Amino acid sequence: MNREMIRLTVNGDPYELLASPRQTLLDVIRGPLGLTGTKEGCTTGSCGVCTVHNASGEAVLSCLTPALEWDGEAVTTIEGLETSGRLDEIQQAFIDHHAVQCGFCTPGVIMSARAVLNEHPSPQMDQINDGMSGVICRCTGHIKVREAIRAVGSKLDRRV
Amino acid sequence: MLLPAHDYAQPGSLDEALALLNASPATSRAIAGGTDLIYNMRGRLEQPELVVSLRRLPELQGVRQLSDGSLRIGAGERLADLLRNEAVQRWSALAGAIRSVASSHVRNMATLGGNLCLQTRCWYTNQSEEWRAGRGPCLKTGSPDCHALPGVEVCVALNNADLAPLLIAMQATATLASAGGRRELPLEDFYTDDGIAHTVLGPGELLLALTIPPPPGPAVYWKHSSRTGLDFSWGTVGASATMADGRPVALRVVLGSLTTRPLLLDAPVRTILEQGLGDDAIAAAQDALRGELGALTNLYTPAAYKRELARILLKRALLRLRES
Amino acid sequence: MSTEARPGVIGRRQPRLDGFEKVSGRAQFTDDVVLPGMLYGKILRSPHARARIRRIDTSRAERLPGVKAIVTGEEIPGLMFSKHQPVLARGVVNYVGEEVAALAALDPVTAEDALRLIDVEYEPLPAVTTLREALRTGAPQIHEHAPGNIGPVKLQDFGDPDAAFAASDLVLSDQFRTPMQHNTLAEFHVALADFSDPQRLLMWTPTQSAPMYQKGLAQGFGLSDSQVRILYHHVGGAFTGRGRPKPHHFIAALLSRKAGRPAKIRATNDEEFIVFRGSGDTHYSFRTGVTRDGRILALEADVTFDCGAWDEWAMILWLPALYLNWVYRTEAIRYRGRFVYTNSVPKGSHHGGIFGRMSAGWMQHINRVAEELGMDPVEFHLRNAVEQGDTTMDASTFHSCGLKDCIRDAAERAGWKDKYGRLPPGRGIGIGIGAQASGSKGASNDTSAAMVKVAEDGIVTVYTGIPDMGQGSHTAMAMIAAEVLGIEPADIRIVAGDSEVTPFDWGAFSQRGTFTTGNAVKAAAEDARQQLAAVAAEALGVEPDALEFCGRKVWPAGAPERALAFTDVIGHTFNGLEGRFIMGRGFFNSPRKFGALAFSFGAQVAEVEVDRETGEIRVLKITAAHDIGRAINPLAVEGQLDGQVFSGLSQVLFEECRVEGGQVLNPSRLEYKLPRTWELPEVDYRLIETIDPYGPFGAKEVGEGPIIVTMSAVANAVADALGGMVPEIPMTPWRVLRVLRARERHGAGPIHPPGLPEGDQAA
Ligand SMILES: Cc1cc2nc3c(=O)[nH]c(=O)nc-3n(C[C@H](O)[C@H](O)[C@H](O)COP(=O)(O)OP(=O)(O)OC[C@H]3O[C@@H](n4cnc5c(N)ncnc54)[C@H](O)[C@@H]3O)c2cc1C
Ligand code: FES
Ligand code: FES
Repeated sequence: MNREMIRLTVNGDPYELLASPRQTLLDVIRGPLGLTGTKEGCTTGSCGVCTVHNASGEAVLSCLTPALEWDGEAVTTIEGLETSGRLDEIQQAFIDHHAVQCGFCTPGVIMSARAVLNEHPSPQMDQINDGMSGVICRCTGHIKVREAIRAVGSKLDRRV
Repeated sequence: MLLPAHDYAQPGSLDEALALLNASPATSRAIAGGTDLIYNMRGRLEQPELVVSLRRLPELQGVRQLSDGSLRIGAGERLADLLRNEAVQRWSALAGAIRSVASSHVRNMATLGGNLCLQTRCWYTNQSEEWRAGRGPCLKTGSPDCHALPGVEVCVALNNADLAPLLIAMQATATLASAGGRRELPLEDFYTDDGIAHTVLGPGELLLALTIPPPPGPAVYWKHSSRTGLDFSWGTVGASATMADGRPVALRVVLGSLTTRPLLLDAPVRTILEQGLGDDAIAAAQDALRGELGALTNLYTPAAYKRELARILLKRALLRLRES
Repeated sequence: MSTEARPGVIGRRQPRLDGFEKVSGRAQFTDDVVLPGMLYGKILRSPHARARIRRIDTSRAERLPGVKAIVTGEEIPGLMFSKHQPVLARGVVNYVGEEVAALAALDPVTAEDALRLIDVEYEPLPAVTTLREALRTGAPQIHEHAPGNIGPVKLQDFGDPDAAFAASDLVLSDQFRTPMQHNTLAEFHVALADFSDPQRLLMWTPTQSAPMYQKGLAQGFGLSDSQVRILYHHVGGAFTGRGRPKPHHFIAALLSRKAGRPAKIRATNDEEFIVFRGSGDTHYSFRTGVTRDGRILALEADVTFDCGAWDEWAMILWLPALYLNWVYRTEAIRYRGRFVYTNSVPKGSHHGGIFGRMSAGWMQHINRVAEELGMDPVEFHLRNAVEQGDTTMDASTFHSCGLKDCIRDAAERAGWKDKYGRLPPGRGIGIGIGAQASGSKGASNDTSAAMVKVAEDGIVTVYTGIPDMGQGSHTAMAMIAAEVLGIEPADIRIVAGDSEVTPFDWGAFSQRGTFTTGNAVKAAAEDARQQLAAVAAEALGVEPDALEFCGRKVWPAGAPERALAFTDVIGHTFNGLEGRFIMGRGFFNSPRKFGALAFSFGAQVAEVEVDRETGEIRVLKITAAHDIGRAINPLAVEGQLDGQVFSGLSQVLFEECRVEGGQVLNPSRLEYKLPRTWELPEVDYRLIETIDPYGPFGAKEVGEGPIIVTMSAVANAVADALGGMVPEIPMTPWRVLRVLRARERHGAGPIHPPGLPEGDQAA
């Protein structure tokens, strides 16, 4: 079984590390990179707690993709959403709207919400529903999650 | 649920990929989006020795409009990118079908080729290795038994690929490539009735592209599942018709997720072509379904419900064609 | 001294205090913890529902480099999980997934590979995997001590049920069934143990109750409680699923002790469906006797639980008997509850407890009683609902009760009068009502203790043993302490999650968090305030009880211009020679011997749409009204309501472990269905705040009350759309179609699930 040196840019930081074909992107992020904000859940694509962004700011499931596939690419995790110590507005909206309860799903849910807003700066409800159906939040039942996304979206609305 | 040991290669061209696959066709596997393969590898349903990445193959990318209006879509195109493609958006049934696959998360990774080549599914088999140990092996995992439909000799796992039914209805053709050359075939001939060798892909062969002729008339797609988001279908229907004076003069209706091979309907379609799209004709077409379904399994939904669902899928597709 | 609520902190929409940690990815959950030298454990599980273990050969696994410890049942004969139940199987296995052997290795890959190298030879034995099989005459007997596979049984009569039924003008009975359901916790089951020193066990794991875990593990390993330290930072949901330690906790400890280094075990996707202790298949039979004018005289419930291979949660057995009388006045109650053993994973409970699932059937039954009498269900509920001052047949008193107001409010806002009986085909409307206890004595005591420390800079630390699994208890505790001390919640730090540091607290179950722990924290804050008042009074030259604390200031009552800053008062405590370091102590234990001191109530109206062809159900709207006492934090209360509406409709419409031969066919987040964003209804809620005399600032609970009500409202709405009772949940499309077909054949009469055999040893 081969191990390969791969280059990954995570949250803007360049890393070079040895990865094996048996490791998923999730394994590498949580293991050697120590970025434990991204959670491990079902490992089979159905809970969304492992959600990170690819270089285009789209939500992808780090549990379903081999680390080696990402050689040379850039990834953003929940730790990368803050800018110089300030929370991203969607993170703040999650606090303000009580879209967080136990918090276990929250990193994945927020990365998914951010991805919705990246694609649709003022999303319609069906765009929110579509973008968020890949994650599951047992605690909030998604109701305040949708509220928080809408709040950020409508703020953008007013700005234009 | 960790991945089994294997080697991994990321070729930069189709020829290189085909050569790698051809070197040990029985023990190597292509990975596109990985959303199905990784799942199956975690459960050790697939244990390839070599995984060949299709991620950087330019030959599998691209959406082109051909001179006759057909769309030629590379098998490596991500579903998310297809949804943003204007040509795809114009064919709303197709866009709807793509949007119905899984969740946006999965569609940001999954490809057209991966969807069409999706492994068949069965809830006795698509489980972890530890789980399967409780029942012993089956046809797919190396025994003469089937847990889903005891007594059958051919695996009856379901084809759950949501894009297959509509694309078959739309008369798409598949282009396959192997180290030996290329071939083209209608998508309906891509699938078989065997849940194990469920496509005609030869050893080391890849799906290269799909060519979809422009719809001659209305096309419709409908998916029925437990939830609207992130769910495999309980049943899907894709249909495409050529209409003249409000009557279909040509019609293709395909049911998906009920059987091992997407079901291109025959008798119900003849009924409609003969009798039109009136309520009585639709009811007659529903009755004509009976002979086409064969033995259904209890996978994911009760067989009796599947039978009922087939009738509803057909009816709804026909009603939508009538309204269009 | 009055510390009753002023316009201040209580009742404010307070964002949760741990929000920053959680949204930024900093919040540490157990699986994020990696201790130096830590090993990764894996458990080998039985593939058989029942079998004799002939031989376990671990030699091949032992030889794999990196494997550091292997344990099997034979080498730990004394270690029991409960009275009859070993931690690792010995001689026989009794369910698919039972723990047979375990190992720990340097990394997860080695651990998983090594597990495949353990060879076990089984001799399969005849198994009974369903209630029906277990109760059949001549069924194989699972345990020697349980003839007929009958486990614990509870019989309870209140009043004279025979007479009350005889006196009734109308007696109706109905049967109902609820399936095996899974808690689907966001954070998977995980245990990190450090038992390198065999006299000290450190267990890092998400829990609802550190003492339950501490006592369970201590007892198992022959230690005293204090030799077991329970740690948890954040807990990723509980939903009744983290009440007691499970085998993997013991096994992680064993592996750690054997290897002499920390060991972590985390469940995989489908292992989640083995280690959980959710609800089992349950059959109910309800009977109700009423007078012609709609007064309830007698209530009866007979409940048969599939408890799995062991009766781990026998304490839930007696609960239904009490519940009936929390909702309606009645003259008599008859109850029988029994556990039946099957060869399947041991069961516990699911979100909403037994009440939610039972209510999904019971409320449909009650609805039928009302309709049979020709009464509007809303009117029937109002005629029979309990009121403030009522005392139940088991001697609980409702010191506050807004049930009737909730019923009226929900019905009115939902437009009940215009819709009930007047909706077009395919639409349905239903009302559900319910109650829930805040804290409860019975199986265990109901004590909480708390400490409040005041630092020199005015920052206050609350030490509490209540875990916050998401419900927001820590923020609520901070608000309570802040209110008492006249400071801001942001000035409060919560220290929790370490049994070595925090004072005793039974934890977060039975809706005791806000009520019981809240009372303890309030008392501790009051104690701290008294200590501070003594110092401030000296400085201000007034009597201590003539002081007011508000807005980070302290002043003599009526003289805010003489205010001292909170920090200045503290300054005096630190800089004097007397050592008046402030440390408040608080404690609460309900004065009742048994049962609960306070109850929450609620009513909800659900509206649904049924696709009569596909059988699909869509919940359109939920209108909810709840009496939860004073809402400490309305923002968090809404969050709790949302979550419960979601979970309630999820259980009624979606959730089910599909079991075959003792094996769950859908052990995944994909095939075990929970609704997602598209399936959410519009939710409209109102709080009917009663002020409970025993609750902290009048608060009661919003932990599990609302879900019970959602489940009954949704069930009734579907029944309305389908023209009569739906005999089981979840109401999947195929069940809906089956009910519709049966209605076509038999008309509007009741449809019941197939009955159960009474069993050889019928109790
Ligand atoms: C949670 C979840 C939900 C899902 N829901 C749906 C759903 O609703 N509908 C649906 O249809 N699917 C669903 N899927 C299945 C799957 O994600 C999709 O079908 C997806 O399109 C597969 O594409 P992929 O590129 O990820 O495939 P991969 O996993 O990369 O490949 C799948 C298979 O096809 C083979 N393959 C891939 N590309 C080629 C090629 N070009 N030539 C030859 N062979 C190839 C691979 O070797 C592999 O055997 C779901 C999956 C998950 C995990
Ligand atoms: S862990 Fe990746 S989707 Fe669940
Ligand atoms: S906050 Fe607990 S699962 Fe989402």
